[in-house]
Amino acid sequence: MILELTITLVKILFIIGLTVGFFAPVLTWVERKQSAIMQDRVGANRADIMGFTALGLFHAIADAIKMFTKEDFVPQGANRFLHTLSPIIAVIPAILTFAVVPFGGQYELWGTHVNLVISDLDVGLLFVFAIASIATYGYVIAGWASNNNWSLLGSMRTASQMISYEVTMGLTIIGVLMVYGSMKLTEIGAAQEDFLSWGFFMQPLGFFMFLAASIAENKRIPFDAPEAESELVAGYFTEYSGLKFGMFFMAEFIEMVTIGAIVTILFFGAWHIPFLSAATILSWLDFLGANGANLVLMLIHIAVFFAKVIFFIWFQMTIRWTLPRFRYDQIMKLGWKILLPLSLANILVTGLVILAVH
Amino acid sequence: MAYFVDRTVKMTWWERLYLPAIIKGMYITSRHFFINLFGFVPFFLGQKKEREIFTLYYPEEMAPIPVAYRGRPVLAINENNLPNCVACGLCEAACPAYCIDIIPGENSGKQNEVERWPKEFTIDYAVCIFCGNCEEACPEEAIFMSDDYEIPMLDRKEMKFNLEQLSVPIEKLKDRVEFTRKMYGKWNY
Ligand code: SF4
Ligand code: SF4
Repeated sequence: MILELTITLVKILFIIGLTVGFFAPVLTWVERKQSAIMQDRVGANRADIMGFTALGLFHAIADAIKMFTKEDFVPQGANRFLHTLSPIIAVIPAILTFAVVPFGGQYELWGTHVNLVISDLDVGLLFVFAIASIATYGYVIAGWASNNNWSLLGSMRTASQMISYEVTMGLTIIGVLMVYGSMKLTEIGAAQEDFLSWGFFMQPLGFFMFLAASIAENKRIPFDAPEAESELVAGYFTEYSGLKFGMFFMAEFIEMVTIGAIVTILFFGAWHIPFLSAATILSWLDFLGANGANLVLMLIHIAVFFAKVIFFIWFQMTIRWTLPRFRYDQIMKLGWKILLPLSLANILVTGLVILAVH
Repeated sequence: MAYFVDRTVKMTWWERLYLPAIIKGMYITSRHFFINLFGFVPFFLGQKKEREIFTLYYPEEMAPIPVAYRGRPVLAINENNLPNCVACGLCEAACPAYCIDIIPGENSGKQNEVERWPKEFTIDYAVCIFCGNCEEACPEEAIFMSDDYEIPMLDRKEMKFNLEQLSVPIEKLKDRVEFTRKMYGKWNY
C-alpha cells in the first residue's frame, strides 16, 4: 500500500516536474532559438549569469522573473473573479491530461509491478479529450471577463474553432480504436511493439488529420485565428499581464507536449524502438540480472518515449514557423468541409479493411 | 492606373491538395534549420569562419566597414606625436551642425615650436550629423571620418570629446587618407 502510494507519488512528481519544470520553460527558449535558426538569425543569446550565456538558455529564467514581478493588471469593468479564474481553468487541464498518458510500459522490479502511467483508466483516451475540452471554458471566460472587444472576438473564435476541430479529432481516433480495440492508452501503446503495426502505418490519413486537428486545438499557427496579432491585438489574452499571461503561455506549451505524447502513443509506437523488441533488449542485458535488466529497459523506454515527444514538439515548431495563418473562413472550411468528411471516410475504409482481414 | 488582380486563378488538383506544398515548405525551413544548426555550434567552439549562417553575432563580431563609411570624425596625430591640425577653423566654419569648438594656440616667437596648434578641440557627437564636411574642408589632412560607429553613451555631456579623446594615430587612418585624397583632391574637380 505504502509502496504503491510512493510509486504513484514519484510518477506524479516526475511528470509534473518534467512538464511544468522542464518543458514549459525550456520550450519558450526553444521556440525563439529554433525560429531564429530557421530564419538565419541568431536568436536570444543576451541573458547571462556572470557573463555565461549558455546559448541564451537563461532567457527562460529572465522571463520567469519578469512575469513574477510584473504588475497584475485588471482592466476597468472587468469581472475580477472570472478574470483571475480563467487562466487557471486554461492551465489545469493541460497538466491534468498527463494523468493518463503512459510514458513507458509495464515492468517487474523486485517483485513490484510498475506501470508507467499515473492512472491507467479504461477510458484513457476519452479522458484526455474530455479534460482537454474543459480548457475551452478558460479561453472563453478569459475573453468575456476582460471587457474588451478584441478579447471577446478572440474567445468566440476559440470556441468555434475548438468545437469544430474536436469533431474531427474524435472521429479520427475512432479509426485508431477500431484497429487496436482498446481505449486504454497503455494497451494502445503496448499493441505497437511491431514496427509495422504502428498507428502511422495503420492509419496514415488519420495521423495527418489528427495532427492538423490537434494543432488547431492548441491554437498555434497556422490555426491561430483566436490570437491573430494582426487582427485582434492578442486575442483572448489581450488584457492579461504578469503571471496570468504566463499561465496562458504555459498552457500552450504544455499542450504542445501533450499533443506530442498523444501522437506518439497513438501513431508512433509509444515507447517502442523500431525492429527492436523488449525481449531482444532484455536478452542483451541478461548480464545485469532480471531486476537490473528490467530497470535499464524501463529507463531506455522512458528515454525513447520522450525522444519521440521531443521530435513531435520540434515538428510542431517547424510547422508553426513555416506556414502562414489561415483566414478564419478557411479554418472553418477546412474543418467542416474537408477534415470531417475525410475522417468519416477514414472510418469506413478502416472498417472495410478490418472486415476483409478477419 | 487602376488595374484588376485576377484572384480566380484555377489551381490544379495537386495544388489544391495543399499537403505537397506544406511538405515542400517544411523541407525548406528544416533544411535551413539543420544547416544553421551545424553552422551555429562551431561558433561557440571557437571556429568563427566558414559557417553557413551569415548573420553576425554583433558585439562579438563586427561587419567589415567600407572605406567610404563615415563614422565619428577624429583628429589625425602625425609621426611627431602632434595633431596635423593648424587650428585654422575651416572645419568649424564648414560644420553645418556647429558642433566643433576650437581654441587655437599660437607661437609667440619661440624657436622649435609649431606655428599654430589647437589648444583645445571639441566635437560634440550628440550634435554631429556625420556629414563629413569637416573632412572635406580641412586643408591639412587633419580631420577624418573614422570607421567607429559605437559612440552611444548614457550621458549627453560625455559625448563631448576633447582633443585627447579625438586623437587617432595617422597610421590607423591610412585607407581613409588615401580615399579622401581621391575624393577631394584638386585633380578631381
Ligand atoms: S561630420 Fe559634419 S556635423 Fe560632424 S563635425 Fe564634421 S562637419 Fe560637423
Ligand atoms: S580644418 Fe583641419 S586644420 Fe583647420 S581647424 Fe579644422 S581640423 Fe584643424
